[in-house]
Amino acid sequence: MNNKSKLQQSLQKHSIYIVLVLMFAICSMISPYFLKSNNLINIMRQSCVGLLIAYGEMILIVEGFIDLSAASVLALSGVLSIAVYKSTGSLLLAILTAILVGILCNLFNAFFVANVQVPAFIATLGMQEIARGIALYYCGGSNILQLGNYTVVGQGMVGPIPLPVIILVLITIAMWYLVTQTRWGRSLYAIGGNRNAAEASGINVKRSIYMSYIINGMLVGFAGVIFMARNNAGLPNGAVGYEMTGLTAAIVGGTSMNGGIGTITGTVAGAFIIAFLENIMNLIGVDSYIQQMIKGLIVVLAVAADIFSKRGKVTKVIIAPKDEEKKEK
Amino acid sequence: MKLRKLTALALTVAMTLSMAACGSGAKEEPAASEPAASEEPAQEAENTEEPAGEEASGDYRVAFIARASADTFAAWLTREMISEAEKYPEITLDYFSGEADDNKLNGILEDCVTKEYDLVIVQVNDNAASAPYIKQVVDAGIPVITTNPAVHQGDLDGSDDTSLLEGTGTVDADPIEQAAVSAKIAVEEVPENANVVVLMGPSNNFHSDGRRVGWEQEFFSKRTDVKILYEDYANWNSDEALTLMETWVQGGTKIDAIISMNDNMAAGAIEAVRGNSDYFDADGKPTFLAYGVDGNAQGCLLVQEGVLTRTSLQDASLLAEQCIANAAAVLKGEKAPTDVEFYVEAPAINSDTVQQYIDMYVESGEISADGSLAN
Amino acid sequence: MEEIKMRVEHVSKSFPGVKALTDIDFAVRKGTVHALCGENGAGKSTLMKIINGIYKADTGQIYIDEEPVEIKNPIQAREHGISMIAQELNYVPDLTVEENLFLGRLPVNGFGKVDWKLVRTEAEKFLEEQNLSYSPAQTLRTLTVSDIQMLEIIKAITNNAQIIIMDEPTSSISQKEVELLFGKIEELREKGVSIIYISHKMDELFAIADDITVIRDGSVVNTHRVEDLLPENASQSDIEEATNVIIGEMVGRKLENVYPKMEVPVGEVALEVKDFCCKNIFEDINFYVRKGEIVGFAGLVGAGRTETMRAVYGLDHHDSGTVILNGKEIRLKDPRTSIDNGLIMLSEDRREYGLIPVRSVMENASIASLKNYIYGGYTHRAKERENVTKYFKKMQVKTPTLETPISSLSGGNAQKVLLSRWMLCEPDVMILDEPTRGIDVGAKFEIYKLMTEIVKEDKAIIMVSSELAELIGMCDRIYIMCQGRITGCLSREEFSQERIMMCATGLMKS
Repeated sequence: MNNKSKLQQSLQKHSIYIVLVLMFAICSMISPYFLKSNNLINIMRQSCVGLLIAYGEMILIVEGFIDLSAASVLALSGVLSIAVYKSTGSLLLAILTAILVGILCNLFNAFFVANVQVPAFIATLGMQEIARGIALYYCGGSNILQLGNYTVVGQGMVGPIPLPVIILVLITIAMWYLVTQTRWGRSLYAIGGNRNAAEASGINVKRSIYMSYIINGMLVGFAGVIFMARNNAGLPNGAVGYEMTGLTAAIVGGTSMNGGIGTITGTVAGAFIIAFLENIMNLIGVDSYIQQMIKGLIVVLAVAADIFSKRGKVTKVIIAPKDEEKKEK
Repeated sequence: MKLRKLTALALTVAMTLSMAACGSGAKEEPAASEPAASEEPAQEAENTEEPAGEEASGDYRVAFIARASADTFAAWLTREMISEAEKYPEITLDYFSGEADDNKLNGILEDCVTKEYDLVIVQVNDNAASAPYIKQVVDAGIPVITTNPAVHQGDLDGSDDTSLLEGTGTVDADPIEQAAVSAKIAVEEVPENANVVVLMGPSNNFHSDGRRVGWEQEFFSKRTDVKILYEDYANWNSDEALTLMETWVQGGTKIDAIISMNDNMAAGAIEAVRGNSDYFDADGKPTFLAYGVDGNAQGCLLVQEGVLTRTSLQDASLLAEQCIANAAAVLKGEKAPTDVEFYVEAPAINSDTVQQYIDMYVESGEISADGSLAN
Repeated sequence: MEEIKMRVEHVSKSFPGVKALTDIDFAVRKGTVHALCGENGAGKSTLMKIINGIYKADTGQIYIDEEPVEIKNPIQAREHGISMIAQELNYVPDLTVEENLFLGRLPVNGFGKVDWKLVRTEAEKFLEEQNLSYSPAQTLRTLTVSDIQMLEIIKAITNNAQIIIMDEPTSSISQKEVELLFGKIEELREKGVSIIYISHKMDELFAIADDITVIRDGSVVNTHRVEDLLPENASQSDIEEATNVIIGEMVGRKLENVYPKMEVPVGEVALEVKDFCCKNIFEDINFYVRKGEIVGFAGLVGAGRTETMRAVYGLDHHDSGTVILNGKEIRLKDPRTSIDNGLIMLSEDRREYGLIPVRSVMENASIASLKNYIYGGYTHRAKERENVTKYFKKMQVKTPTLETPISSLSGGNAQKVLLSRWMLCEPDVMILDEPTRGIDVGAKFEIYKLMTEIVKEDKAIIMVSSELAELIGMCDRIYIMCQGRITGCLSREEFSQERIMMCATGLMKS
């Protein structure tokens, strides 16, 4: 391979990051406020909840499944966590509750997906309604107020950096590690790529599915804490549609709906591409209906560009090796 | 809205598969016998064609259709309706939820005709979408009381006719008045050349639009020096308002006032600037003004805290009291349905008056005096 | 000069890093069967895909009836009368026979509604004409591979195809079905249809082809008329000689011995299976294999060989029976347990149970032996790379990079990656189910050689195969199965095709 084609290949492989950098550059040209450190921190803070969900969706989609219940389970974990906080005053216990609720709901998902082999779409759609129902029932339809120090998880600062952002960075590193450095991580790709082949290769498919849903549950539960703390209220009907935010970030970040392909870093890039877009449109005051249109268009274009750049590989590189051959001769 | 799918999918899945039937059944069972859980009746209504309300020995069967069970105010209104109806032994109240879906709500209206209710009280999502179905109920000879919002003749025929829909009565709050209560004082207290942001409910929502008109009439038309920096739909939701406000704050211009069409959105916007030194002085006093509407528990707490400047009460208990009282009168033939036209007041809530409302919410159990978990 | 139906001139095609075809000239006469031979990766499939419009050639020209044509996609190819029957049939199992027949060209009435009545009568007519016994309303799921293949051929005919490309049509059908297929080909030839026939099975070529073109490394080596290669009433030795000529041209060297069988000292029993049963599938299965042995499993398609092996490996359920590995009884739970105990299985269905198409060759190779690289809390990538590279060298895997998705490798190379996957587990007993299916002669030879190497290392191999010749050539003993039972076990000196077939058809028990 010559340098040119190597460069081209790596450009194509990293097209999503190039889009991210371009997006960043364009945004900073459009609005002088975009580059302000406050705004950048703000973008990160706003991305926290969505990214946590996106990580969960990413691993599940890579494995060939999905979680449509994320937003509802988030709301349920959040309100139950607040309830525990208000009755015990222990933040640690409250966070553990949220994570536990997330895990329990996802054990339900995993059971139906792995053992009963209900399509993940249906199983988690059911969970979506169940979790939302329990959350609303528990709260009687109204919000839980007077959170006290609970808000520190969502609003606290460590020096100039918001606490949720620090938590997000730590979780991101942990997720990157789990996906790239563990056997479970490898099993995701193998199962998503070809479940039968993975099983024949000695991978415990059921265990891997349970593991994925449990990790998804922990992420969603934690997202619930941050979400409620940021809003300073237990919102049983909050975060509606956030599973789509997470899915979109994962898919824009190069996760293949067919399974077997996707990365944590790509998902981060995907989430920030959308976050930059939303931020810049809000900064320059684009009408929210038009925002929706632009967002939809960008999502389709981003994925199309990704597919195109990969498909284009063949035609683009063909000339290069030929030239190279001649030179070598 | 999401819950609508539950009926079709989750329950089917849950019931076909024995495990699910056990699991979710156990979780949802208490809801069916507990009137406060307003998401249940809708399921029951669809699945079993049985009303969910408690069967009392009443002579009159009244249906109440709330716009959504996941809506804080509608949930409150439903609770108040139920407790109010208990005061009238001759009335049996069945309640349903439209789950923020016009199609579903209209379906329930059609069902009411089939089930031959004696009276229907309805809180619609979208006036124009449901007006023809309300007319069906009226045409079937069933008296209808619209509430929060009132439905007008113009909603049916597309004209500007603002008289009530033919054959119906209403018990409502006047959205323009609700906003005007705060806007009239804001004219005086908002600083000169102030920069403000406006948070709207869902587009074309009767109350959101009405409240915006109130602000226009009483404030913006009189204070042409005020500049609206941003105005957007946060759809009554505090999380959406939070995200919007966080970004607006980055716009660089100090926002002097938040004008929100309800308390939830005002609360979200306030959380966005909490801890921001541009918006709070050294003593922790806010350097901005904020206005809401509804006077719900969250709003009252914020007023008490001093961060929400003013709001006005939209009192669900008063609405419910009037609805049921008028319904009883109509059923007994003391009043024609079309004679029912009652607009509840919108008492102002500010730092001087807030304590009585806080007390009210503490009494109702929604919040607690010491901040610990209610209920 | 006979009429040339189709020819290509100076066709070249490159992929990144690979020159697939160089200056190909190739002509097909009208009403003949033109066989195309070459090792996997020689460029046969690429050439066919260019003719079928799936790939675009970099240079060169296609002529049909001596008219230059441009074929941009398979639809245009169909308009030019070209139809391709792919090696690995892609079909929707829930489609009915008639829907499949008319796929993409369902007749509609004036309102755009499909005219199902017409579809049904047309389909019935076709099936009757072609002497096929199934009904138009049957779903494809209920048919066998050869039925579906036949259906594809009929579809090609109904499309008025003048040129039919068949890519390894006999790789997964039984002998009887092969005869049926050949009958059909004969019929087509008489109607003046030209057939391009790709196969690795030499005996088939001489039975059916009129012309043979050999391709090696993307270039045409030679084109023969079969009548020139073989005298009339050719004897067995004539055919063998001609075969050697073709194989020599294909691999570019002479193959002295097709089966590099070596005498290896036989050790103790490595795997013993006792009284293995699974209701309605197989019963009373008893066999053993010793270290250094290659033991074959022969039988007709559907005799239960694959099912038995899958159960022994722990991939499928069994009712009763024991598996003793290296003198120790193992509890069969799942493939992982088997792998950890030194028993592996190469599946006969590469696509379904082997390849993870979207992932890289390296990940495909290392997936079964991850615990060797992922330990101590992180992935030892350098070690993984090193081990995989080592085995790739040993297996002669040809891949542009280790990161290349395995889906872009040829069948033979992909199979070698899968063999590497199992070699990396360092097993004691290897079950190889149809290890050479769909693989060219050169690669086959390499795999045979490897099997010999493996047993030399004191390992045991069980080879399931439908090719009697390779079983006879490679095995020390052969078990024969028929209808879920072992009906015979022959030692090397007892081997003969006749005896095996007798046992396989249940006519004889030994």
